[in-house]
Amino acid sequence: MELNAKIPEGPLPEKWDRHRFELKLVSPANKRKFDIIVVGTGLAGGSASAALAELGYNVKTFCIQDSPRRAHSIAAQGGINAAKNYTNEGDSIWRLFYDTIKGGDFRSREGNVYRLAQISNAIIDQCVAQGVPFAREYGGLLANRSFGGAQVSRTFYARGQTGQQLLLGAYSAMMRQVAAGRVRLFPRREMLDLVVIDGRARGIVTRNLLTGAMETHSAHAVVLATGGYGNVYFLSTNAMSSNVTAAYRCYKRGACFANPCFTQIHPTCIPVHGTYQSKLTLMSESLRNDGRVWVPVKAGDKRRPEEIPEAERDYYLERRYPSFGNLVPRDVASRAAKAQCDAGKGVGETGLAVYLDFRDAIRRDGRAVIEKKYGNLFQMYEKITGEDPYKTPMMIYPAVHYTMGGLWVDYNLMSTLDGLFVLGEANFSDHGANRLGASALMQGLADGYFIIPYTIGGYFAGTPLETVDGTHPAFGEAIESSRKRIDTLLAVDGRRTVDDFHRELGRIMWDYCGMSRNNEGLEKAKGMIRALRAEFRENVRVPGENETFNQSLERAGRVADFLEFAELMVTDALARQESCGGHFNEAYQTPDHEALRDDAHFCHVAAWEYQGEDREPVLHKEPLVFENVTLAQRSYK
Amino acid sequence: MLWLFRFFTASIGRKFLMALTGLGFILFLGTHLAGNLLLYRGGNAFNAYAARLHAFGGLLMVFEFGLLVFALIHVLFGLWLFYENYRARPIGYRVRKSGPGQTWGSATMPYTGLLILAFVVYHLIRFHFADKTSVTIYEIVKNAFQSPLEIAIYMVAMAAVALHISHGFWSAFQTLGANHPKYMPLIRGLGLIFSVVVGIGFGFIPIYMTLV
Amino acid sequence: MKKSIHVTLKVWRQASGGDKGRFETYPLKDISTDMSFLEMLDVLNEALTHSGKEPIAFDHDCREGICGMCGAVVNGRPHGPEKGTTLCQLHMRHFSDGDVLVIEPWRSRAFPVIKDLVVDRGALDQIIIAGGYISVNTGSAPEANSIPVPQGAADKAMDAAACIGCGACVAACPNGSAMLFAAAKVSHLALLPQGRPEAARRAIRMVEKMDGLGFGNCSNITECEAECPKEISIAHIARLNREFFRAQLASDEK
Ligand SMILES: Cc1cc2nc3c(=O)[nH]c(=O)nc-3n(C[C@H](O)[C@H](O)[C@H](O)COP(=O)(O)OP(=O)(O)OC[C@H]3O[C@@H](n4cnc5c(N)ncnc54)[C@H](O)[C@@H]3O)c2cc1C
Ligand code: HEM
Ligand code: FES
Repeated sequence: MELNAKIPEGPLPEKWDRHRFELKLVSPANKRKFDIIVVGTGLAGGSASAALAELGYNVKTFCIQDSPRRAHSIAAQGGINAAKNYTNEGDSIWRLFYDTIKGGDFRSREGNVYRLAQISNAIIDQCVAQGVPFAREYGGLLANRSFGGAQVSRTFYARGQTGQQLLLGAYSAMMRQVAAGRVRLFPRREMLDLVVIDGRARGIVTRNLLTGAMETHSAHAVVLATGGYGNVYFLSTNAMSSNVTAAYRCYKRGACFANPCFTQIHPTCIPVHGTYQSKLTLMSESLRNDGRVWVPVKAGDKRRPEEIPEAERDYYLERRYPSFGNLVPRDVASRAAKAQCDAGKGVGETGLAVYLDFRDAIRRDGRAVIEKKYGNLFQMYEKITGEDPYKTPMMIYPAVHYTMGGLWVDYNLMSTLDGLFVLGEANFSDHGANRLGASALMQGLADGYFIIPYTIGGYFAGTPLETVDGTHPAFGEAIESSRKRIDTLLAVDGRRTVDDFHRELGRIMWDYCGMSRNNEGLEKAKGMIRALRAEFRENVRVPGENETFNQSLERAGRVADFLEFAELMVTDALARQESCGGHFNEAYQTPDHEALRDDAHFCHVAAWEYQGEDREPVLHKEPLVFENVTLAQRSYK
Repeated sequence: MLWLFRFFTASIGRKFLMALTGLGFILFLGTHLAGNLLLYRGGNAFNAYAARLHAFGGLLMVFEFGLLVFALIHVLFGLWLFYENYRARPIGYRVRKSGPGQTWGSATMPYTGLLILAFVVYHLIRFHFADKTSVTIYEIVKNAFQSPLEIAIYMVAMAAVALHISHGFWSAFQTLGANHPKYMPLIRGLGLIFSVVVGIGFGFIPIYMTLV
Repeated sequence: MKKSIHVTLKVWRQASGGDKGRFETYPLKDISTDMSFLEMLDVLNEALTHSGKEPIAFDHDCREGICGMCGAVVNGRPHGPEKGTTLCQLHMRHFSDGDVLVIEPWRSRAFPVIKDLVVDRGALDQIIIAGGYISVNTGSAPEANSIPVPQGAADKAMDAAACIGCGACVAACPNGSAMLFAAAKVSHLALLPQGRPEAARRAIRMVEKMDGLGFGNCSNITECEAECPKEISIAHIARLNREFFRAQLASDEK
């Protein structure tokens, strides 16, 4: 298979313009003849549903939650980037582009990232017009703050609830289309399979989570916006229902999966506190604007933080990265925290935490200012830990947060399967090996509001699509295989619960395919995953039946897919014999322990093609060509 | 005129009428109380006040008719709302603990309201429609409050009125949209004071009457 | 400072909408006080699964207090006894050894029970569909800074927009009214200049929709405000009322 990214010719700033001109159009009157399935109602799926319906397409939208407003995007806290340069610090589209490419450790496409930066400003305009209550200055104009990996303030925010407000904006735009009859909503539905006819995606199979009924839906194209797969680690900052199922089933139907091993471990999360723990909570990166990260100079120092004098504190990020200080990118900050804890300097009961201290900021600006900026985050911290961060420093530790990998897509956001478009975190496109803060929201909305509306039209206008409906045998086959999978899960009736397996899988992934990896560990993990998967198939216990609201069964299906997908992640990690961004292989590091890329051999996207049960997938490489930036060792010193 | 119908049948429209009529009653209670306080100055003053009031003749009739319409609206719409509210939760909670929001007044509005209704009917028969050909109104009042039962009825009713107003007063402002961080505490305070004044002002009359 | 407690749960179990339902009692030992309430339910569900029983169905997703998916009435209080806290953010350290916790689903005619503690809150989405948006097609927005919004107005709009749509206001209201929910959206959009052009129509349609869904009416009892995990003020209800009067009595909207 030849991977053709279809990046338009021409100078970087003109590519998108030229491409939009070259894309064929569907006339306004003809748009209503096309049905589009959108799976997911996060920022990507919500915005896509709204924008496509506004154009006149018939949209059917699906989500797992009881309401589209609850998609995982709702939890994003910190903000969304745009190259508005309202702060007059010299920001520009080019700078946002460059920061994002560099932040991603030069493992993303120039063309895509430049387009993202170009679109960023229109997103802010759109959201403001929808009534998103972004923070404002006294004069009534929009406020900005800074985020990791950038030296300008370009992040727009709505208190600590930016994702919520952006999602509610997209949700309301979509609900307006529901009122207009152009979007039909299907909540509490889980996509279990993709239906491919004549090499094109033409429909999906869903399970009605309330009744267990298997339903088929046909369309002219399928837009997948099902988010990231961070929950493969069991403990992550993702919502409980975040899964890989939809994307993985597409992979099994022929869509290539790109860079699955690229996961982002976020440096500022509330540390794990017990074996019963079900998820981890992020403390927004924006906290690093004012909080200072430190550990005691002496290993094993058990004094309370207030008792440790200034001279015996090591503000290691400020020390090692004087120019970016506490605002280094996430992968760098996370590894640095791990290194401190590995050296025995970790704090707290488990020794797996570092301090994030606001003492100096409170002294400088006063409590009121800090409260206004971060009040809700501080409150959340206190609720979870029972400690008051205004008085004692927060304790934080890295946690799985985001997955840069995803289904491979070309410049049109179409996967290797014709008619299957993938948006948001579910695709691999713009963040390379590490995503910068506040750019996932930007990407999700760029994909949904401003890219898919044009590229899907180009697909429709250039592709003859005969009508198909649910009676096509491909639907019958897909329903049958989905039902069989469910029956198999219910029939095992073993002794271990689904969560028990999931927790063990998470442990394996965190230990061997987490913040820092080595070949030996990865090999070992592969064997462990296989063994665990085999045990799962024989020993899992899923109570209840299919025909009811059965949350254990839902989880079982997702974990079954994680157990297969985890192996693909490890395979990918083993194939990439370099360190870059979030993928850190201990064999490849600079003398001061930074990730060491190997541009000669690995300057490519790794896209995996499924070959069948128990057969190694085939690796396709899409070379990354850099014409406008020079590949350099990332430096935040 | 469909829009007007729609307005007055919408939840908020009906509440608008409740608030308007409720405030009307509050004004009425204010003047009624001012008049009744004359009881403390003895029979002559009170009888003179009653006479002067009746001298208004037609105007008084109009006023009384207005009150009747208000009462009909307040009672009927109140019961309508109450019925809907009751239906909105077909299965109740096993454990029902109120958060810090509810007050005795707000929790009992329909019940205190019905109590007031019963009382008002009784009260009108007892005093308003009483045969005043041979006795003065002051004597009627004085006689009435010789019976401990009547005193009790009267005092319970006044407690109900006080309770009803303790919530109704500020609630009417909120319903009409008058909630401003600067003024709301004032309105709430005023409501409490007014309910206490009404409760004690009216409620103490029967006791006073047994003393004189 | 590890602490653990024993508690007894009395949980509403109902197999499906048609089932009558009943309370079941479950004693739970050694619950760490660092656990969240939902993690405590997870522990119980694991035990139920092991013993061949059906685990308790309860909705949840983000477990960070923002998606609005979780919620149950604990000892008579929606989302439990802590102020400004969702059930997923409620921690067991707020309970004591030996406590008996009665756990019930949201009770409202508009929220039929689906299973155990899970209810159907689709009615809230219906209210939004009726008008909880600003009609702006993608691509037609003006430059973001071309309309200044006073910081105070933006802040107030944000206070209202913080609503997570969990339905605790309905569950808490003795009348089962959804006024705080509807008011939060109307108020959020009415406070911003962008939302003004449609303000009248929005207020009328959303209220009309709300009235038709089986909710009760607002009696200003303020339990909603007291139990709202995002502490949304009833001042927004007053604003909805004003918007509604203005729309019905002084606008061209019918
Ligand atoms: C705690 C946290 C904070 C974050 N903060 C920021 C931030 O400040 N700035 C930033 O830029 N990014 C942030 N991110 C990242 C960002 O929020 C996500 O990457 C982004 O929201 C993903 O959006 P999405 O639309 O792709 O997917 P999601 O929002 O995850 O939506 C997925 C949708 O797909 C549906 N779905 C999934 N699987 C199926 C299935 N099988 N069948 C049917 N439907 C399905 C779900 O129901 C849901 O509607 C944060 C992430 C986390 C976890
Ligand atoms: C002394 C006479 C009365 C006064 C001063 C009075 C005053 C008020 C006021 C000010 C309100 C608040 C309106 C609002 O919330 O907007 C109210 C509410 C109410 N009143 Fe009365 N009222 C009186 C008699 C009655 C009677 C006779 C009934 C009989 C049923 C009644 C039933 C109610 C009910 C049910 C409510 C609550 C309506 C709701 O908020 O849903 N009231 N009253
Ligand atoms: S689970 Fe999301 S708010 Fe509780």
